[in-house]
Amino acid sequence: MISASATLTGSYDYSEVARSVLIAIVASYAALDLAGRVTAARGRVRFAWLSCGALAMGIGIWAMHFKGMLAFHLPVPVDYHWPTVLASLLVAVLASAVALYVASRHEMDPVEALTGSTLMGAGIAGMHYIGMAAMRLPATTRYSPLLVTCSILLAIVFSLIALLMAFDLREETRWTVPRRLGSATLMGVAVSAMHYTGMAAASFIPASLPDLSHAVSIPPVGNSAVVIAALIVLLAAVTTSSVDRRQSEDRLRLVIDTLPAMVWSKSPDGSADFLNQRFREYTGLSVEDGLGWGWMKNAVHPEDRAEQEWRTAFAAGQPFEKEARLRRADGTYRWFLLRAVPQRDDEGKVVKWYGTTTDINDRKRSEDELRQAQEDLARVTRVVAMGELASAIAHEVNQPLTAIVTNGNFCLRRLDGAAWKADELRAAIEEIVNDGTRASAVIFRIRGLLMKESPNRAELDINRIIQDVNVLLRNECTRNRVSLRLELESDLPRVPGDPVQLQQVLINLIMNAIEATTSTTNGRPEILIRSARNRDGVLVQVQDSGPGIEPALVNRIFEPFFTTKPKGIGMGLSISYSIIESHGGQLSLESGSQGALFQFTLPANGAVVS
Amino acid sequence: MSEPKSIVFVVDDDLSVRSAINRLIGSMGLQVELFESAQGFLASKLPNVPSCLILDIRLPGISGLNLQRRLAEADIQIPIIFITAHGDIPMTVRAMKAGAVEFLTKPFRDQDLLDAIDLALERDRTRRQQEAELAVLRERFECLSPREREVIEMVVSGMLNKQIAAQLGTAENTVKVHRSRAMEKMQANSLADLVKMIQRLQVFPQ
Repeated sequence: MISASATLTGSYDYSEVARSVLIAIVASYAALDLAGRVTAARGRVRFAWLSCGALAMGIGIWAMHFKGMLAFHLPVPVDYHWPTVLASLLVAVLASAVALYVASRHEMDPVEALTGSTLMGAGIAGMHYIGMAAMRLPATTRYSPLLVTCSILLAIVFSLIALLMAFDLREETRWTVPRRLGSATLMGVAVSAMHYTGMAAASFIPASLPDLSHAVSIPPVGNSAVVIAALIVLLAAVTTSSVDRRQSEDRLRLVIDTLPAMVWSKSPDGSADFLNQRFREYTGLSVEDGLGWGWMKNAVHPEDRAEQEWRTAFAAGQPFEKEARLRRADGTYRWFLLRAVPQRDDEGKVVKWYGTTTDINDRKRSEDELRQAQEDLARVTRVVAMGELASAIAHEVNQPLTAIVTNGNFCLRRLDGAAWKADELRAAIEEIVNDGTRASAVIFRIRGLLMKESPNRAELDINRIIQDVNVLLRNECTRNRVSLRLELESDLPRVPGDPVQLQQVLINLIMNAIEATTSTTNGRPEILIRSARNRDGVLVQVQDSGPGIEPALVNRIFEPFFTTKPKGIGMGLSISYSIIESHGGQLSLESGSQGALFQFTLPANGAVVS
Repeated sequence: MSEPKSIVFVVDDDLSVRSAINRLIGSMGLQVELFESAQGFLASKLPNVPSCLILDIRLPGISGLNLQRRLAEADIQIPIIFITAHGDIPMTVRAMKAGAVEFLTKPFRDQDLLDAIDLALERDRTRRQQEAELAVLRERFECLSPREREVIEMVVSGMLNKQIAAQLGTAENTVKVHRSRAMEKMQANSLADLVKMIQRLQVFPQ
């Protein structure tokens, strides 16, 4: 092998070495930074970033390498074959391009990572050894195969680490800059380590001076110029990148702040970490007051808070929508639709929530108005229908009554006088009897009309009916801010009945209860519907937290046309009473300690009155 | 009753009501004529005796209120008592404004109906009497000569005989003769009597 005395002994200028390491670190930082920009860009801009980035990074790596070479002093003059030097620079640029391309892909699978790092590592190693080959000195260069292999492997391993770091760091977050600095330092040191391993692999044996055509010597000034040029290029790249990032951030922020919607992002638990300007302007909240759970405490209407519900929705991790009132800076509340979509990591864990909050107050109000109008219309229609019915009843019943009264008066007058004949009285009384029968038939007919007798009564589960009604009236309760609670006993006996009629009774009782509870202000309005087994069948109770029924009115409450409500027509309870009666049960009012308690019974078997 | 017998017309579509009213009013000694529709009543010939009409509001075909209007248009001045099983205030107001005597809601008190009938017949009787008197006066007035009418018009307007003579260009005595002959023909006892008669006749523009 080669004897040690035969080789030229080189020495390192350590301040130059330090400078080369510094360049490596700066180049690494630029590489990481540029990877982020390339990732963010699209189309031609991306290509421009990729080429300029590769050029800057390549120059950086090459400069480090070259600096490292210049830090190595041999006891003989060393010249450089400049075409080869340029070739090494080209290889560095190509290796950088590969690195940037791979690191800026949206996904990086292991094969891509390995291929990329092999190419990059090979590129860097190639650059190094091509650079070495550019040396022109009176010596032959020999390489230690072990160390060369080592240096190539190191290049590949470091490239892999660098790629993974760049890939990880390309997203711009809060901690990006410090982490990037750390990673860049690590990478810079690693690249240097590879370089100096490669240098160590070479030994120089004195020989005759080789062909010096195209060879140049590097004066100390040139040495510094390389460093300065490289630093300027790298600095320019990083600055451009930063300006571009700032501009695109500004653009994005401008878009987010001026969108006609309130935009926010929240942590996985739902605490806000960003609220756009429109959100802050609308609510009048400062950034501090809105972040965390402040948006809930300071802007959401107390009745719409239900913090637990929100937390559950956030915990569930599914996109969701909620309607809530938000306080405007002037103190008025408007209805908003809040939409939230989670962003997940690779394992499916929610890492962030993004959402918008859109003003739906006008829509909501017109919905409310429409519903109110429909209700009013329904009420008017009912009143008109009842008015017509009343008129019909009055007319139909008053005709025979008129005849009865007139005939009766005739009889009385005759009897008061002296001369009366039995025949004429008999004729009048017969007519009275006929008209009485006729009046009763009219009433019977109207009753049938009202009751809409259903011949086929099904065996019903009363709990099912209660639940159906609960669904029907849920909106009504929410709108009136009344909570409707059910306490249903399971396995109740089935009762024969008309589901529609029984629903009608329940709806009637609950609507009355809603009106009663909303008329008072003490406590949260609540309605409790209970079902239970009783002796003959089932018992259903509707209890409200309203003011209750005045004792003086208790006896009249089921009378037709009796009402305590300003807009009432006094038919609801009276019809309900008849319906329950026709089912063989009884509707009654229990005087309780608090609120009104209406209850009805329904017999379980065969006791139905037709 | 010494006067010509009165007639009560009843228009109601309900047989029982007609029958009962017939019995009640008949027992008071009044003549009753029953109709089940407005058309039937319009088709009948009305005798020239004091009468009134008991009219149901809700009738098939022509309603009670429409019948009232048609009678007014035809200048048939028969007092109307409305009866209805279901009346409202606007309906009542309309009927009363159009000159109804009474508006009764079924079932009504018999005395209310009988009082209304009395009132209605009395009103009709008075009207008929006044019309008869007016007819006599009109007949007398027809007998006056044109010159007598001219003189009477001036007398009634308050002019003295002398003034009348000057205006007509005749002697005062001639005026006196015309005047006393006219008084005689009109069967007026005094100047005041004559003025009243002329006012009722409404023959001269005021």
